[in-house]
Amino acid sequence: MKATPQRFDAFLFLGPAVALMLAFFVAPIVVNILVAFSDMNQTVRFEEFPTTKQFNKLGKLDPEAFLGIELRGSFYRALALTASFVLLTLIIFNVSFALILALTTTAVPERMGAVFRAIWLLPRMSPSVVYALLWLWVVDSAERGLLNQVWLLFASEPLNLRLDHPMAVIVVANGLIGASLGMIIFTSAIRSIPEHLFNAARVDGAGPLSIVRHVILPALRWPISYITIYQALALLVSFEYIFLIMGPARSTMTMAMLSYTKTLAPGIGGGQYAYGASIALILIVVGIAVALLMWRLINMKSLLQRPRIEVN
Amino acid sequence: MVDWVKLAQRSRLGRRLRLGALSVFLVAVSIPIAVPYIWMVMIAFTARRGMAETGTLWPALVVILVGLGIYGVAMLWLRRERLAIVMGVLTAFLLGLILLGQDLHLQNFRFMVNANIIDDLDGQGTVGERYPWVWEAFANSLLLASTQTVIVVTVSTLAAYYLSRFSFRGRNTFLQSLLVLQAFPAITLVIPIFLIVFWVGLLNTLYAPILVLTALELPFFIFIMKGFFDAVPWDIEMSAMTDGASRREAFWMVVLPQVRVGMIAIGVFAFIKGWEEYVFVNGLRTGESYWVMSTYLYYVREDVMGVDYGMVAAVAVLYVLPALILYLFCQKYLTQMTLGGVKG
Repeated sequence: MKATPQRFDAFLFLGPAVALMLAFFVAPIVVNILVAFSDMNQTVRFEEFPTTKQFNKLGKLDPEAFLGIELRGSFYRALALTASFVLLTLIIFNVSFALILALTTTAVPERMGAVFRAIWLLPRMSPSVVYALLWLWVVDSAERGLLNQVWLLFASEPLNLRLDHPMAVIVVANGLIGASLGMIIFTSAIRSIPEHLFNAARVDGAGPLSIVRHVILPALRWPISYITIYQALALLVSFEYIFLIMGPARSTMTMAMLSYTKTLAPGIGGGQYAYGASIALILIVVGIAVALLMWRLINMKSLLQRPRIEVN
Repeated sequence: MVDWVKLAQRSRLGRRLRLGALSVFLVAVSIPIAVPYIWMVMIAFTARRGMAETGTLWPALVVILVGLGIYGVAMLWLRRERLAIVMGVLTAFLLGLILLGQDLHLQNFRFMVNANIIDDLDGQGTVGERYPWVWEAFANSLLLASTQTVIVVTVSTLAAYYLSRFSFRGRNTFLQSLLVLQAFPAITLVIPIFLIVFWVGLLNTLYAPILVLTALELPFFIFIMKGFFDAVPWDIEMSAMTDGASRREAFWMVVLPQVRVGMIAIGVFAFIKGWEEYVFVNGLRTGESYWVMSTYLYYVREDVMGVDYGMVAAVAVLYVLPALILYLFCQKYLTQMTLGGVKG
């Protein structure tokens, strides 16, 4: 061999990635933990560190109460709203409807299915501010709102969804976006089922429904669990669409929204960084727990397969 | 005696019915998604007097449906794809000209030539000299998205190659921590990221969102790229080196072309993400130090809402177009990405 194998510089290849992730991903996690136990406000100084003051705002220890913690009203409300938002969106759209879309778009001719999947990816691909703008126009409480134009054909009173059914608005708005991820993952999982399994089932006299039940669904077990956990986590921490559509409305103040509006939200953010960080810390702890749970679903062996070149 | 012909007929009929029912279902659930986007385009190109009107939406839907219908019928009867598309588009175009011809105009896009959007608003604006020319925001968005794309593609490709090819102490730990970061909900970190950016003095600069978005996307993209590198057989690298290439030359000239699809795929993803970003852009500036398209549209909508719908819709169309065009042209690359290591 003419050229001697050069020793590859780990610094050159891994260095930039490690530096970036340490500075803007790992360090923020540490900073968040520290700030959550301080009383940092607009002055952005570490005050009264360490203190559990922020967590006392969320609830106080009470041996009498359920689980030993008595939650403050606003935080209890945020917790309840978060739970119903996550569960409703997840169950109705991100899993069930995603599954229906994957099943139906793979049952029609390929080109046609691709067109419908592309339509469903439209909200995910368009900028969040545009998507929220469309929502505001569609559910506009005046008669010019698109929904009301259709609604008033059948009813006499215009709908004001943002006021009367805020939870429905944010569930559907997030769900229409969320469904597309499950749709993609499930579609590729259905595609990877060997064709002979379908043929064998048909020879045995299976109709379309029993093919779904006995051939497709068993193959989707892992993707469905993965999407359920992944999307539950994503919904738990998401506030972008809620904020853009509902603003700082109390009716949709989930935990992530509470943390955002108390700190950085434009115009109304109060700069209560420590308070916001303490709520974020709760979400982070849940997030890490779920991320660890997800390990069980990931194919570790393929991930940690031996490297191609043995150089130390 | 089984009547095979009849049986086959019945099964064909059943299949057609099922296909018909599925199509009707898919059309019905897709209409609510598609119609608002069509509406936005129609408002942008037809609204006068600043109102959000649906007057032109319904004819536009008729035009689209007729065009699709002609395409469908032509496909069924002639079975010639090109011809069917031409016929459908031509019919839609002619019908559109007849039904909507005199409604279409470009007046709502005048902010593209006139630097001051508030100046010639239809109606009374409530804000003063606040907005820059839209192209400034457009250029900033372009700069943010493309710089961030170049950085994240380069950095994650290098890291993924090293992780795919080399063994080093702590490799497994490194991969496992990367996996945790990949699953970590990064949006929860917006507050500490704001604080760090403030402390290092990058607040109110475009560097902040570029670096932050890059860092948050890295774990995911490294896994995607590692998957692509893992699929490249070691043999081709080996033969390149047998032919006298150095390790770096082999990486650059032999392996990199093999993972081009992966680089394009993450590049498209990164660009669309950088183009649409709102939270980290808006959160990392305190005043109005820089404008990008997302903040521009957000505040124009806040201030001008109810005054000039046509112009808001026109800004939205200008904003959404680059992302959609990129997505449509690069769709085939995106579908080749597999979710790293999920059991299937």
